[in-house]
Amino acid sequence: MKIFLKLLVPLAFALAVSAGAKEVKLLNVSYDPTRELYQDYNAAFAKYWKAKTGNDVVVAQSHGGSGKQAQSVINGLEADVVTLALAYDIDAVASQAKLLPADWQKRLPDNSTPYTSTIVFLVRKGNPKQIKDWDDIVKPGVVVVTPNPKTSGGARWNYLGAWAYALDQYGHDDAKARDFVKRLYKNVPVLDSGARGATTTFVERGIGDVLLAWENEAYLALKQFGTNKFDIVTPSLSILAEPPVAVVDKLAKKHGTADVAQAYLEYLYSDEGQDIAGRNFYRPRDAKAAAKYAGQFSPVKLVTVDQVFGGWQKAQKTHFADGGVFDQIFQP
Amino acid sequence: MPTGWPAAKPTTHTNQDNMKLNQLILASLAGLQMIFPAAAADDTVTNSAGAALAVIPAYTAASSPDAGSAGTAEIEALKKELRELGQKVRSLEEQQASARQTNADAAGEKLQDLDQQVRILGRQRELDNENAAAAAKALPKIAAGPGGFSFTSADTNFSLALHGVLQVDSRTFFANDNLQGDNSFLLRRARPILQGTVYRDFDFVFVPDFGGSAVQIFDAYVNYRYSPELQLQAGKYKSPVGLESLQSDVNILFNERSLATDLVPNRDVGFELHGDLFNGAVSYAAGIFNGAPDYSGSTTNADFDSLKAFAGRVFFQPLKDSDVAALKGFGFGVGGSYESDRAWTNTATGVTPGYTTDGQERFFTYTNGVVGHGNHWRIAPQGSYYYGPLGVFGEYVISDQQVVNVNKGLKADLQNTAWDVSGSWLLTGEEASSGAVVPKHPFDPKRGQWGAWQVVGRYAQLDVDNSAFPRFANPNTSASKAQAWSAGLNWYLNRNIRFNASFSHTWFNGGNGTGSTVTKQPENVLFTRIQLGF
Repeated sequence: MKIFLKLLVPLAFALAVSAGAKEVKLLNVSYDPTRELYQDYNAAFAKYWKAKTGNDVVVAQSHGGSGKQAQSVINGLEADVVTLALAYDIDAVASQAKLLPADWQKRLPDNSTPYTSTIVFLVRKGNPKQIKDWDDIVKPGVVVVTPNPKTSGGARWNYLGAWAYALDQYGHDDAKARDFVKRLYKNVPVLDSGARGATTTFVERGIGDVLLAWENEAYLALKQFGTNKFDIVTPSLSILAEPPVAVVDKLAKKHGTADVAQAYLEYLYSDEGQDIAGRNFYRPRDAKAAAKYAGQFSPVKLVTVDQVFGGWQKAQKTHFADGGVFDQIFQP
Repeated sequence: MPTGWPAAKPTTHTNQDNMKLNQLILASLAGLQMIFPAAAADDTVTNSAGAALAVIPAYTAASSPDAGSAGTAEIEALKKELRELGQKVRSLEEQQASARQTNADAAGEKLQDLDQQVRILGRQRELDNENAAAAAKALPKIAAGPGGFSFTSADTNFSLALHGVLQVDSRTFFANDNLQGDNSFLLRRARPILQGTVYRDFDFVFVPDFGGSAVQIFDAYVNYRYSPELQLQAGKYKSPVGLESLQSDVNILFNERSLATDLVPNRDVGFELHGDLFNGAVSYAAGIFNGAPDYSGSTTNADFDSLKAFAGRVFFQPLKDSDVAALKGFGFGVGGSYESDRAWTNTATGVTPGYTTDGQERFFTYTNGVVGHGNHWRIAPQGSYYYGPLGVFGEYVISDQQVVNVNKGLKADLQNTAWDVSGSWLLTGEEASSGAVVPKHPFDPKRGQWGAWQVVGRYAQLDVDNSAFPRFANPNTSASKAQAWSAGLNWYLNRNIRFNASFSHTWFNGGNGTGSTVTKQPENVLFTRIQLGF
C-alpha cells in the first residue's frame, strides 16, 4: 500500500502540473520594420506571462507592408493581434471583416499607440548629395527610395511627411504641396511593397541617394551595417507616426486567446515594454522611458496626421484611394 | 643656308660644320615643336625637349666664341623663342591633363549613372517578378488530374470540383431454364459528382445518377465544418450505419455489395453531427433522418411518415499512429439506427422492397399488405484490417422490425440477421485500404507497366426470421436464408480506370416452391465491369 501511495502521489502531481500548464499560441500580424522589436518583446512577454500564469505563450510573427497585412487578415489570416503601421489599416479590418469593433482605438491608452516614430532620411556616408531637408530630395538628379504608399504604411507616412513640409514651406498652398510631392516621386525609380524591402533596395542593392525611412529602421540600418556606410539626416519637419495595436476580437475569441492577447498588448505599455520600444529606436510614450532614450534621436518638429490632414480616413481617401492624388501624380 | 639665321664662326669646327649643326638643332627644335601636341601624352617627350633646350646654349656658346653683338642678340632671341616654345609645351600639357581629368570625371559620373540604372532595372525586374507572383496567387487556380477537375479561388475559400463515376457492367447467369436474371449489359452507375466549398467552411455535394431507368438524386447535402472534430451535415446522403454501405461506390471490391448490406439503410434525408476525434483515431456520426427501409437500390427524397429515425456510428482506429505498421490498419466500430414506423399513413410500406442476391435478383419479399408498424432498430458491429497488400473487413447486422399484415390483421416482430467477411490481396505490392487503390506502376505496356492487380473473395449470408413465413412472406417464392461466396480479380490500370471480373455463387434455404424464379436453384453469376472514376 505504501509503495502504491509513493507511486500515486508523484503521478498525481505530475498529472496536475501537466493538466494545469498549457501553451498558448498567438499570431501577431505586424508591419515590415517591427521584426526586431517584437522578437525582443515576445521573449519578454513570454517570460512575464509564464511568471504570472504559469502558462507558456508562443507568439508567431507575420510581417509585410501594413496595407497588405491588413488585407491578409481581412482575407482570412488568423491574427490574434494586429500591430500595424497606421490606424487606417486596422480600421479596414474592423469595417470590412468586422473582426473587431469600430471604436477599437479607444480601448488602450494613447489611442492604442504604445510607441511612436517619425520619418528621417538615410543617406550614403558623407552625404555626397548634401541632403539636409525635404527640399534637397526633390532636386533633379537625386535618386530617392521609398516604398509604395498603396501597400506600405511607412510609405504613406513618408508621403504625408513631404506634403506637410511643403505646406509648411509654401504657406499651406495645396497646389504647391502637390507639385512638391510630384517632384519628389519623379525622383523615385522603384517602389517596394514595404519598408523593409525599400531598406534592402537602398542598403543592400546600393540604389539611390536617400532612403525615406522609419526612424527606427534608419537607426537599425546604422546598427546593422555600421556608421561608416550611412548617415542619418533628420529633416527640419517630419510627421509623428503613431503605429497602433489591437486585439482581433473575433479571431482571438475563436482561438480562446482573448485574455492573453489583451495582456500581450497591455504589456507594451509597461516599463519593460516601453524600454524595449526605446531600445529598438521607437519613441516610447512613457515619459520616463522617453527621457531615457531621448538622446538617441535628433530634435525635429513633428506634426500629426490629424493636425495637417484631418485624420487618416480623410488622408486615405484624398491621397491613397484609387484615383487619389498619389495615383494622379505618380507615373511609373 | 636658311635665311634669317646668323652664320656662326667656327672654333674647332669649320663654319660649314657649324652651320650644319645649327641647322640640325633648329630642325630638331622645329620638329619637336611640331610633334609635342601629338606626343603630349608621353612624359618622355617633355624630358627630351628640356634636355635639348639645355644643350643648345652650351653648344652655341662653345661654337661661337667670336660672335658679335648681332650673334648674341640672335642667340637671346633664339633662347626666348625656345622658352616660349617650352611654355607653350607646358601649357599644352596642362590643358591636356585638365581635359583628361574632366573626361575621367565625366566618364566616372556616367559610369555611376549607368551602374545606378542597371541596379534600378534589376530591382524593378525583381519587383515585377514579385508582383507577378503575387498577382498569380490572387488568381483562381485550375487543376486537372487523376483526382478530378477543379477550380479554386485564390484564398481557397471557394472551390468547385467535378468528379464522376461510370460503371459499365455485364452479368451472365448460369442457370437452367432462364430461371434467374437476364444476361445483360448494364449501365450500373453514371454519376457526375459536383462538390465544392463556399465561404471556406461550407462544403456541398451534389450527385445525380443517370445509370438507372430513371434519373435520381443520390447525394445532395451541405456540410459545415466548424472544426475537424465538429461538423454539421444536412441533406440526403448515406445513413451512418453499415461499414460496406459507407464505402465509396468506386472503391467497393465487387460489382455489388454483400448480403449484409441488405439490412442497413441506404441514403436518407436528415441532419447529422459528425467528425474525427484524436487525430482520426475516433470517427463519429449521429443524426436524425426520415427513416429508410432496409437497403434498397432506389432512394426517395421524402419521408413516408411523420416519425423520424435516429442513426449513428462510431468507429475506432486506436492504433493508426502506432509505430508498428502491422497494427496501424486495425479498426472496429458499431453502427445502429432506431425508428418508429407508422407506415399506413400513405402508400409507402416502410419495409424493404426486397432482399437481393449478388445478381440483384430478389430472393425475399414481404407479401402485399405487410407494412412496418412499430419499432425498427438495427445494430451493426463491424471491423476492418489493412496491412500492406492485405485488406479484410466484415460486419454483422441485425435488423429488427415490427410489421403488420394489414390484410390479415397480423403483427410480428421480425429479426433478420446478416453478416459478411471480405478479403483482398494486391498482387502488385500496393497498399490496401478502404479507399482507392493507387497503382505503383500505371498501365503503360510500352514501358512494361501493367497497373495493379488484386484478388478478392467474400462470404456472406442473410437469414430472415422464420416467423415471417408464411404470414408475412410467401415461403414458395421467398427464401428464408441466402448464403453466397464470391471471388474475383480486379485490375486497376491507373487511378481512374479499373476492370473487374468476379463470380458469385448463392444458394438458398426455402423459397423453392412452384413459381419461384430466383430461389428455386442456386444463383451463379459472372460479373464484369469497366469503371471510370475521377
